[in-house]
Amino acid sequence: MNPDLIIPLLAAAVQSGTPVLFATLGEMFTEKSGVLNLGVEGMMLCGALAAFVASLYTGSPVLGLLAGGLAGALVGSLHGLVCLTFLGNQVVSGLALTILGTGLADALGTPLVGRIAPGFGPLALPLLADLPLLGPVLFRQDPLVYLSYLLVPAFWFFFARTRPGLRLIAAGEYPAAAAAAGLDPVALRWAGILGGGFLVGLGGAYLSLAYTHLWTSNLTAGRGWIAVALVIFAAWRPGRAVAGAWLFGGIMAFQLRLQAAGTTLPSSLLLMLPYATTVLVLVAAAMRRGAARGSDAPEALSVNIEPED
Amino acid sequence: MFGLTAHKRTEPPGWGSVCIFPAALALALFLGLGLLALTGRPPLAVLGALLSGAFGSVRAVEETLLKTAPIFLCSLGVAATFRIKVWNIGAEGQYALGAVGGTAVALAFPGLPASVLLPLMFLGAALAGALWAAIPALLRQRLAVNEIITTLMLNYLGILFLDWLVYGPWKDPASHGFPMTALFAPGAVLPRIPGTRLHWGLPLCAALGLGLWFFLSRTRLGFELKASGEGRRTATYARMPYDALVLLVMGLCGALAGWAGLIETSAGLGRLQPTVMAGYGFTAIVVAWLARLRPLAIAMAAFLLAALRVGVENLMLDFSVPAAFGRILEGLILLCVLAGQFFTTFTLRRSKPLAPNPAPEPAPKPTGEAA
Amino acid sequence: MAAAPPDTHPLVRLEGITKHFGAVAANADIRLDIQPGKVLALLGENGAGKSTLMAILSGRYRPDAGHILVRGEPVDFASPRQAIDAGIGMVYQHFMLASRLTVAENVLLGQEGAFLLSPRKMQAQVAALAEEYGLGLDPAARVADLSMGERQRVEILKLLHRRSRVLIFDEPTAVLTPGETAQLFAAFRALVARDRAVVFITHKLEEVLEVADEVAILRRGRVVETLPRERVSTGRDLACRMVGREVLLSVDKAPLPPGEEVLTVSGLSGDGLEGVSLSLRQGEILAVVGVAGNGQKPLVEVLAGLAPPRTGKVLLLGQDWNEFYTRPSWRGSLCYIPEDRLGLATMPGMDVVDNVLLTTRRGFSRGPLLDLGRARTVVRDLVEEYNVHPRDPNALAWQLSGGNLQKLVLAREFYRDPRIIIAEQPTQGLDVAATEEVWERLLLARGAAGVLLVTGDLVEALQLADRVAVMFRGRIMDTFPATDREKVAGIGPLMAGMRPGEAGA
Repeated sequence: MNPDLIIPLLAAAVQSGTPVLFATLGEMFTEKSGVLNLGVEGMMLCGALAAFVASLYTGSPVLGLLAGGLAGALVGSLHGLVCLTFLGNQVVSGLALTILGTGLADALGTPLVGRIAPGFGPLALPLLADLPLLGPVLFRQDPLVYLSYLLVPAFWFFFARTRPGLRLIAAGEYPAAAAAAGLDPVALRWAGILGGGFLVGLGGAYLSLAYTHLWTSNLTAGRGWIAVALVIFAAWRPGRAVAGAWLFGGIMAFQLRLQAAGTTLPSSLLLMLPYATTVLVLVAAAMRRGAARGSDAPEALSVNIEPED
Repeated sequence: MFGLTAHKRTEPPGWGSVCIFPAALALALFLGLGLLALTGRPPLAVLGALLSGAFGSVRAVEETLLKTAPIFLCSLGVAATFRIKVWNIGAEGQYALGAVGGTAVALAFPGLPASVLLPLMFLGAALAGALWAAIPALLRQRLAVNEIITTLMLNYLGILFLDWLVYGPWKDPASHGFPMTALFAPGAVLPRIPGTRLHWGLPLCAALGLGLWFFLSRTRLGFELKASGEGRRTATYARMPYDALVLLVMGLCGALAGWAGLIETSAGLGRLQPTVMAGYGFTAIVVAWLARLRPLAIAMAAFLLAALRVGVENLMLDFSVPAAFGRILEGLILLCVLAGQFFTTFTLRRSKPLAPNPAPEPAPKPTGEAA
Repeated sequence: MAAAPPDTHPLVRLEGITKHFGAVAANADIRLDIQPGKVLALLGENGAGKSTLMAILSGRYRPDAGHILVRGEPVDFASPRQAIDAGIGMVYQHFMLASRLTVAENVLLGQEGAFLLSPRKMQAQVAALAEEYGLGLDPAARVADLSMGERQRVEILKLLHRRSRVLIFDEPTAVLTPGETAQLFAAFRALVARDRAVVFITHKLEEVLEVADEVAILRRGRVVETLPRERVSTGRDLACRMVGREVLLSVDKAPLPPGEEVLTVSGLSGDGLEGVSLSLRQGEILAVVGVAGNGQKPLVEVLAGLAPPRTGKVLLLGQDWNEFYTRPSWRGSLCYIPEDRLGLATMPGMDVVDNVLLTTRRGFSRGPLLDLGRARTVVRDLVEEYNVHPRDPNALAWQLSGGNLQKLVLAREFYRDPRIIIAEQPTQGLDVAATEEVWERLLLARGAAGVLLVTGDLVEALQLADRVAVMFRGRIMDTFPATDREKVAGIGPLMAGMRPGEAGA
């Protein structure tokens, strides 16, 4: 295989997969605390818009990034309000949030379609960028990609070696036990929603500040949903999330390249690739899991905490 | 919070639960209008335009009724799946496949008379939609694959499939490059009710609604469907064919959503093109959650949300409100209803203050016995 | 506060504790002392108020009246956390352990000690604590991999880590094997040796005799007696004090001539069963007794058609299992009254009529349609006959009390004219009046059917059964007539897996 074709494809896979990675880690963070948030698509799109607008009007992509994360957390907090305070059904609330979030972002973003905002460009890391194969693929990316490299081990460390991480897991596995231990599982789940929402917002921000620098409609194109699927595929472990996200990045990059190369395959069929792959990935995960092992999901996932009498 | 604690109700809520939906609707409208007010559009005028757009003239009401039909059909199906706790959010894709299935028949047999062609088209649409719904149902059954994701992915795949057909093999050579099929033969177009702009799809909806009501309340299979909503264990205990019921319900939903797609294609557009997709499948989720599996409530909620869509179209004209505002309202309504449903299961009472017990007697002389 | 000699000052004193749930007084003017260094058994029937009292002590409920004094100081717990801070901790029947976490993580949760966690340090900490109290455990093990007895020890460690002075156990032996029970009682002794107070709630007389230092007997929400262990003579004596009248509700049981064999099981094995063989005839009640978790559930699941038999033969009304369950008739065949009243036998969100239709729907079918008019009439009659309250057929299942729900289930199932009845813990959680009604119905039903009664309540088994089969570890240890006094006396050891003649029987 021609390395001149492979290396740019791999590099594009990493870049393309990064927003999905942020969103997957964000949803994983929320789910580990026991909350299923299907509103990722809406939160991501709102994050993208907020980041775009902030960067457009302040000229600072870093402020844009922050705004994107905050927007994700803010939209996610609606889910928290409905589910944690009002004990609403988590599945339906997430769906409502997707409808609302995508509607909000589309509506507010209409006047901005086609505009360009300052964003992040590639930043080759000295020394590392010159490594064979790994250099051009991993170390000639934009700063947000490097951020994602740090995020994955930090995510692992947070849950494996810190007190708040352990407590969040307890809220997701057995909230009553956490309460008996003197903790507040509802507060822990709020942290899960807001923290996860922030990461999802960052994923959205990536789309409008790094992946592209402009605003169009449907910027996310279902990536939020793919992130939800990837959390299942990754069995709620961050390392696997990277593999899944970069796989999707690769598929999307591959599909774009085929189209650019003037293939005779119709674009509609090519666009099907990521979605079809998601289904196949879930099937593979289910077959791998088998009936014996049971689910890897946090035990209290999507189960609301009802008040004691 | 606020000195109130929540307690589970021991009796059903009674009249209170009827108030929840209107209250939630009002709140959602309030928030939506407030949002518009922030962008400089006067809320009262907007509300007026919304209402007049939906109900202000015969034409407006007809328009609302026309939009009610596809929403109603999709909602019937989705409500049935929600009842059996299958989270089917694939109505959008099933709608697309129904449009495709019906179009396939229409394009294949343009010469047939309507009395033969239309039923065949309905059959084609039902089969295509049911098949599209059966895929995630089987994956869920055999492999325990999460149906939320699979139905959603099949939405994208179904819509892209439709796109491919109208951009490719089915594209009308006379359309100058626009993605659309040729105009349907007159026999393939669902006719209008004379004297109105309404088509026969609406009476069909009414018939289906009645049929579903009858099915659920009077037949054994309908009973089994309702009872299976309690879960697989109870279904097995009562020797009900749970797996078959799930498949049946999903197939039914696919067929109904498929008919919605067919109706919009045949009566609404007269040809298949990507604009047939209007998000009815997602609106159906809102309706299904609001109305549960009560056909009359589904009809009312579908009508309401159709009115909202038509009203928002008016807002687009009068106040240049973007089309996505309709989705904002739908999302807000659903969120407010979810929050409001809290009050059907719980009541709020003042938290008990520290029990004002009188001071205990001084520690008694130690004894060995307690009475 | 007056200084008092430490060994006579109660660690905890409950005075005048009263708690109502609606109109029912679960606890009425209770007075109780808990002394350090002693094991106190709280004895009483179902519904006597033991769990409520301990829930109040452990901070889950607030009393409507009365005080709690800890070391002489009045306290008012607004939450279990406050009770734990005051040194009172409870081990519930349903363990609150996150299965995916390790023992150490579960024990230290909430009191981890630092922002950064070192699994090794945590495990060492927990290992030291376990060693001090002789509770053998691997702190690095995941809770999911532990046995019930080991999980219970984790719960104990949790309380010890929080420096609990009073440890309350709610029916702790319900899920333990006899070996684990012995280990638990040894742990009790280790705890009281270190000046802790142990309180355990039970309705099993033999446990009280074995390990308690003091006994407090509750009946209908009141403490009717407290006495030291030395003053208790026999289990029968305790039982009388517990029930307050000559023991054992007696029901009229005239033996019926046994009819044909309706159920035959030979060599049923697999899924927790080992070579189970039994036979059931029309006209008799066969009680299957044993500690919960010894194969009763798998046996019932096979017989009720919820799981296929792995090896062995099951004949129901002369038909092989597969044949019988391919198209079971709704009438005149088998009915199953599960332990899980609200979640399995009935649909909580649907009304009485729908719940009756659940298993009788085919009897009201005319082709594909349901004859709802006739169904309503039948339901009204059934509800009247079986004394179910409320009489309203539109009432939802969750609104019925346990006793009324059970009567409804019986009404429905007996309407099906079964020839085989499988009843699982039919009077669990019911008050005395409802229990008597259910017992009468079961006895009546055996006229036309054979009844397999699966129960952990020996009183119930001996009252109702014609024959008794004892299960242990998936095996039937012995089957004998209920009139065989010698064998009946040896039921306890049989349930513990000891055959007659073995040591300690």
